[in-house]
Amino acid sequence: MSGPDTSLWFAARTSRSFVLGATLTGFFAAVALVSLFWTPYDVTVLDIAGKLQGFSPAHPLGTDHLGRDMVAMVMVGAQTSIAVAFVAVGIGVGFGVPLGLMAAANRRTLFDEIIMRANDLIFAFPALLIAIMITAIFGPGAINAIIAIGIFNIPVFARLARGGALSLWTRDFVMAARVAGKNKAKISFEHILPNITNLLIVQGTIQFSLGILAEAALSYLGLGAQPPLPSWGRMLADAQTMISFAPHMALVPGLAIVFTVLGLNLMGDGLRDIFDPRLRRSRQ
Amino acid sequence: MKLLSVRDLVLDIGSTPILGGIDLDVDAGQVLGIVGESGSGKSMTALAIMGLAPTGARLGGKILLKGADLAGHTEAEMCAVRGGEIGMIFQEPMTALNPVMTIGDQVAETVLVHQKRSRAEAREIAGQTLERVELPQSRFPLNRYPHELSGGQRQRVVIAMAIALRPALLIADEPTTALDVTTQAQILDLLARLVDEDGMGMILITHDLAVVAEHADRIAIMRAGEIVERGPATKLLLNLKHPYSKALFEASNHVPARAGPPKNASDEPILVARDVVRDYVVPRTSPFARPGRFRAVNKVSLQLNRGENLGLVGESGCGKSTLARAILALEPLQGGQIFLQDRPVDAPEARRQMQVVFQDPYGSFNPRHTIARSVAEPFHLLGAAAPAGSERADRVALALKEVGLDPKDGQKFIHEFSGGQRQRVAIARALIISPALIILDEAVSALDVSIRAQILDLLAELSDRLHLSYLFISHDLNVVRAVTDRVLIMKSGEIVEEGETAQVFNDPQNAYTRELLASAPSLDEAIARRLKHA
Repeated sequence: MSGPDTSLWFAARTSRSFVLGATLTGFFAAVALVSLFWTPYDVTVLDIAGKLQGFSPAHPLGTDHLGRDMVAMVMVGAQTSIAVAFVAVGIGVGFGVPLGLMAAANRRTLFDEIIMRANDLIFAFPALLIAIMITAIFGPGAINAIIAIGIFNIPVFARLARGGALSLWTRDFVMAARVAGKNKAKISFEHILPNITNLLIVQGTIQFSLGILAEAALSYLGLGAQPPLPSWGRMLADAQTMISFAPHMALVPGLAIVFTVLGLNLMGDGLRDIFDPRLRRSRQ
Repeated sequence: MKLLSVRDLVLDIGSTPILGGIDLDVDAGQVLGIVGESGSGKSMTALAIMGLAPTGARLGGKILLKGADLAGHTEAEMCAVRGGEIGMIFQEPMTALNPVMTIGDQVAETVLVHQKRSRAEAREIAGQTLERVELPQSRFPLNRYPHELSGGQRQRVVIAMAIALRPALLIADEPTTALDVTTQAQILDLLARLVDEDGMGMILITHDLAVVAEHADRIAIMRAGEIVERGPATKLLLNLKHPYSKALFEASNHVPARAGPPKNASDEPILVARDVVRDYVVPRTSPFARPGRFRAVNKVSLQLNRGENLGLVGESGCGKSTLARAILALEPLQGGQIFLQDRPVDAPEARRQMQVVFQDPYGSFNPRHTIARSVAEPFHLLGAAAPAGSERADRVALALKEVGLDPKDGQKFIHEFSGGQRQRVAIARALIISPALIILDEAVSALDVSIRAQILDLLAELSDRLHLSYLFISHDLNVVRAVTDRVLIMKSGEIVEEGETAQVFNDPQNAYTRELLASAPSLDEAIARRLKHA
C-alpha cells in the first residue's frame, strides 16, 4: 500500500511514551515471571547474621532487617503486586463492562438508573477506607486485597463502557443491526464492544497502575499480602523504622513501585495516542 | 481595478498538489459563484485567499486585493485583513458561534479586534449590524445566546459578524448547505441585498449549481484543483463548453429512467399506516413535574403500493425520520397501526420484508467488520432459514454485483471505499434478503451530484427489475420530483398534502407546499429567468 504507513504497529513503534512505558512494564513483568522459577536467594530463609547489609557483589541491592536478599524480595514482590493488580483489573472489566453495556442498551430505564446510581454510591466512598473495612471484616490477605481493589474498578469500567456505548448506539450501523432484527445483547457484543476496546485497554493500563499503588498502600498498612509472602508495600513498611541507617530498604521497593507505575502510565498514554486515528493521521 | 484578482494560485500540501493555477476576478458589487464537487478545491481556494491554508501548505501565485498582494503579507497583516477587508461565512452555523458568548458580544468582538473603539460603541455597531441582517433588537436583544436561536437565525449572526466592518469582500463557503430550503432562500436573498447595499464583492462557494444559477453574476466551475470553465453567469449557463461542466449540469437535472409501478399497483398495498402517533418524552421543567410530551408524528396515515416510489418531504424536525423509525418498528407507537403486507410491522415476518438505507455513508457501517459481514447482517432476520456456508457467500457476492461492485470487495473494510461506493454497499445490505420495501432516509443527500445521479439510476433500475417499493424520505425537492410517483408533504408531524408527484409539484394546494416549492433553488427556472432578462 502506498502513502504514509498508518498501521497500529507503525504508530506504536514511533510513539516515544509507548515504547518507554512498554519497556519498563515489560521489564517488571519479566522480573515477576522469572521469580516464579528462579530467585538468587530463597526469601523464606532468614540470615540474621547478614542483616542490613549495603550493596555488595553477593547482594547487589543489599539485605533487609532479617538478612533476606533484596533482589529476591523485589522479584517476588513484583509477583504479588502484578497478580493483585491484574486480577483486580480483571474483576473491574469482567463485571463493569457488561454492566455498562447493559445500562447503555437500556438507557434511560429503571435498570440503567439503578446500575449507574449504584456506581455513584461506590464512587462516593473513599476507596482505601472500604478496602480497610473489607479486610477488617474478612481478615487481611492478598485475596481480600484483590477483592477490595477490584470492587472499586467496577464502576470505573461500567461508566467508561456506558459512555462509549451510548454514542455508538446512535450510529447508523447500530440502527442497521436493529433493522436486521438483532437484539440488544447481540448488538452490544458484535457492534459496541469491538468499538470501545481501545478505550478499555487504555483505561485498563491506568487502573493497573492504580491497582499496584493500592496494593502497596494496603500492604503498607499490613492489610495486604501477609508474611512470609513479600510485597513491595510491606517492604516499605518494614523499612520505615530503619530508614536512618538502612535507607536502601525503602529505596529499592519504592523505586520499583515508581518505575512500574510510571511505565504503565506512559504505556496508557501512548496507547491512547496510538488508538486515536486523528492523532495517528497527523503523525505521518 | 478589480477588487480581487487571483493569479496562478498554486497550493501543495506535502507532495500532493491541491490547487493548480487558479485565476479568479471579483468586482465590487458582484457575486462570483464557485461550483464544484467535494475535493474540487473550492474551500481550499477560499482558505488560501484568507491566508488560512493548513500548516504545511506551500502557496504560490498572486492574491491581489485592491492591488495589494496578500500572498506577501505577514500573519499580523493578514489578521487586519481578515474580518476587516474580507469577511467569511462558514457552512455550520452551529459550530461557527461560541456557545457561551452572547450574540451581541460576538459581533462586537469583530469590531473591537479591528478598531479602537469603546465597548459601548462596538455594541452599538453590533446592534445596527444585527438589524441589517434582519434580527431586530426588539425581538433579538444583544444578550441572547446562540442556543436560543434557530439555525437560520444563527447563520444571520454569523453573517453579521462577517459584515460588521463593511468588508470589501465577503467569502461565503456553503452558507446555506446546513439549512432548510425555506431558510436557505431567505439567507441567499439577504446576502444578495447586502452585496447590493454595501457594494461588496462576494465569493459564493457551493456544490449546488442551482444556487449559483440564481444568485451569481459570474461563475467558475472547479474540478480537482482547477477551474475548468468560467465566465459571466448567463452566458456560461446557456452555453457550457467543458465536458465536466456539461456532465455536472446534466447530473444536477438528472431524471432516472423508470418504468414506474405496475398498472394495478394500487390493488397490492405493501405498506399501510393508519393514524400513527409518536410522542417523545421531553425533560421535566422542575424536579417534581411530570415529564412533558412532544408529539413528533400526529395521526399520519399513508399507503404504499407494490413497485411504487413514495416521496416523503419535509424540513428538519418535521417528524419524517421519526415516522421512518416507527415504520421500521424500532420505536413504540402511542397510537395507530402500521401494517406491512397485512402484518403488523413488529412481527418477524414483516421485518423480513423491509430494509433501510441511511444518509451518512460513513456512519452506516461498523468500521471493524468486513463488507461481506456487514452486507450479510440482515440474514439474521431469517433465523434458522438463513443461508449458510457457500450459499451465504454467493448471496453476498450477488448482492454486491447487483449494486455494481466487485464481489471480491467483500473482504475489504468500509474505509477503503468512497462515499458513493459506500452507499452502494448500503443498498446491497438492504437488498440481500429481497425485501418488498426499502426505506431510503435521505439516502442521496450526502452525495455529490454526479454520484447522486448514478445512485438514483441504480435505485430506479432495481425498483423496476425487482418490483421494489421505496419510501423516499428527503428534504431535496428536485430529487423527490425526479424519482417518486407519489409524494407526501410533511410539516410539524402532520401530512399537509399528498398526491401524484407531478400534480403536487405543478399545482400545489397547500400554502406550506407552495412556500416550499418556491424556496427550492431550481436550475431550470433560474436559467429561464436569465433568458427573459437577457
